[in-house]
Amino acid sequence: MRILLVEDDRLLGDGLQAGLTQAGYAVDWVRDGEAAVAALSTESFATMVLDLGLPKRDGLSVLQWLRERKDATPVLILTARDQLEDKVRGLDLGADDYVLKPFDLDEIAARLRALVRRAHGHPEPVLTLGEIELNPAARTVTRAGGAIELTPREFDLLHLLLQNAGRVLTRRSLEEQLYTWNDAVDSNALEVHIHHLRRKLGNELIRTVRGVGYMASAA
Amino acid sequence: MKSTASYSQRRRLVWLLNGTVAAIWLLSTLVVYQRAHHEADELLDNQLTQVGETLLAIVAGGEVEHFVKELHEHARHYPVPIAFEVWLDKDGEARRLVASPGYAGFETAATPGFSERPYQDTRWRFYTTQDDDAEYRVVVGQSHAARERMAREIGLSLLLPAMLALPLMALAVWWVVSRALRPVDEVARQVGALDAQALAPLDESDRLPNEIAPLRSALNALIRRVREAFDNERRFTADAAHELRTPLAALKVQAQVALRAQGDDSRQHALSQVIAGVDRMTHLVQQLLTLARVDPARQEATPNALDPAGIIAEVCAELLPQAGRQRQTLTVDAIPGCRIAVTAGWLQIALRNLVDNAMRYAGEGACIEVRLARTASGCSISVADNGPGVAPDLRSQLSARFVRGEVEGEGCGLGLSIVSRIAALSNARLELGDGLPRADGRHGFAASLHFSAVAAPARSSVAAVVQRP
Repeated sequence: MRILLVEDDRLLGDGLQAGLTQAGYAVDWVRDGEAAVAALSTESFATMVLDLGLPKRDGLSVLQWLRERKDATPVLILTARDQLEDKVRGLDLGADDYVLKPFDLDEIAARLRALVRRAHGHPEPVLTLGEIELNPAARTVTRAGGAIELTPREFDLLHLLLQNAGRVLTRRSLEEQLYTWNDAVDSNALEVHIHHLRRKLGNELIRTVRGVGYMASAA
Repeated sequence: MKSTASYSQRRRLVWLLNGTVAAIWLLSTLVVYQRAHHEADELLDNQLTQVGETLLAIVAGGEVEHFVKELHEHARHYPVPIAFEVWLDKDGEARRLVASPGYAGFETAATPGFSERPYQDTRWRFYTTQDDDAEYRVVVGQSHAARERMAREIGLSLLLPAMLALPLMALAVWWVVSRALRPVDEVARQVGALDAQALAPLDESDRLPNEIAPLRSALNALIRRVREAFDNERRFTADAAHELRTPLAALKVQAQVALRAQGDDSRQHALSQVIAGVDRMTHLVQQLLTLARVDPARQEATPNALDPAGIIAEVCAELLPQAGRQRQTLTVDAIPGCRIAVTAGWLQIALRNLVDNAMRYAGEGACIEVRLARTASGCSISVADNGPGVAPDLRSQLSARFVRGEVEGEGCGLGLSIVSRIAALSNARLELGDGLPRADGRHGFAASLHFSAVAAPARSSVAAVVQRP
């Protein structure tokens, strides 16, 4: 799942990028408000981790800009300010969650999962489609109760497809959400992952919509 | 609150006013008594003369017997009785012709006119007169006691109302003084009600007398200053706490990443980041402590005049190795002979921060130039670099706490706050401007401290300054 990380502090940004990558996210890291706006104007992200004190353009101003253009990307704010009014202001401007520094990596990862879940209208933590169950927190997948081993990329792809079950996802949007700018993407990498998923989970789960993309549906 | 240094202005005013009035009243009563005595003397002397002359005329006319009888009858009604004697001096022999009953044996005065003599154990005043032939002589007299009684009565009649009026007046004075001092009481009440936690200036909308209004404005000015200092400190503590959160978060995240890292490389990287984070926090804590130490209370009362060239050389020598590691060129151009009044330790801190800032933000391979120059009013120490520079509109914000430039650097945003605080406490001026010219035609960043010179002492200590290479 692709995340935009906006953090000016080099050490913290580096740590968050490494930590969230470990947790299975594809993390794009920008270090100022202008760069965040530039990234958000051209690409789409599953969620965004936004620090408030940023050079060039303040975090709250980035948030305001984002909401004004009706972009609903879930936003998790990182801040050093613990005053209630700061929180209220952030939430009023359209932030979805709020984490006070210093924080725990696991907490950030859990909150990001919750944000994505809510954004896709899945209040329950586990996604189910037919015999397939996907638990984003545990990063486990079962088929008819039996555990299935997936690579991180395969898991993310399945996660995206299940979140949008019944909808067709274009190749492009899948690639955008799966890979960061730094990932070298082979032209047929997506097909390879789909192929592996079908082998592990059965051919019926993922349908190819010719010329458009892919769709997950129950039988 | 009773203390030896305080007294009641109200009590003091009441006593002073009442005492003064009473004293003036007493003095005026004395004067009036004197005047009354004098007037009574004059009045009664006239009476004596009149009675004497009349008596003489009558006696000389031969109607002695009848007159004496009449006079006696009337004398009883006089408020101040008059006694008399009439003598007939014929053929060298003096004979008392008639005298007031009960009074006899006035010694006859040799010469006519007024005289005073004791008679029957009291002082009397006599008037002696005689006819042209010196045949009849009349002596009329009056006791002095009568005159004094009269003067006393006049005096008392004036004093009595005053005795009654004085207590009334004391009350009136007390009331007036209390009323006049009411604004003072009111200000005292307002000051007493001030909350030390939330200092608020006194309400200046009430009208106050001109004598007290300056006190209130001065107090309000003080309250505002104290509150500003208070807020500043509070803000600083909050800012400092917040500034510590980010490096702490970075440390924690990097440590967690290191714990979970699968490969040696990523663990190595995360651990080296942890160490870098600790270094950065150490720097931040050091800078916070420095800022706390730059405290007016720790300033030398009157810093000795010193030549900054020595300190510049010292600080640059200390930082030179680090500049070398960053492939930066640090040049010093400081000619001894300038004298400024500044606490040596503070100048050292300020310089170290300026040079350190230049080294942090100018980037690798940059040139940094420290220059001591004489100016019209004194001397200036400038630290200029040919780094990326700072846009003019951002420069004014740089000396605020925890503000960093747009450039990437490892600073904590306190260096220029420390320098500007030292400048403010040392009566120096901190100026941020264009630095050394760059290859691309733009300029780097420069910070300069402007000191006003102090008069050089008679003995020159310039020779004592050691210029290090």
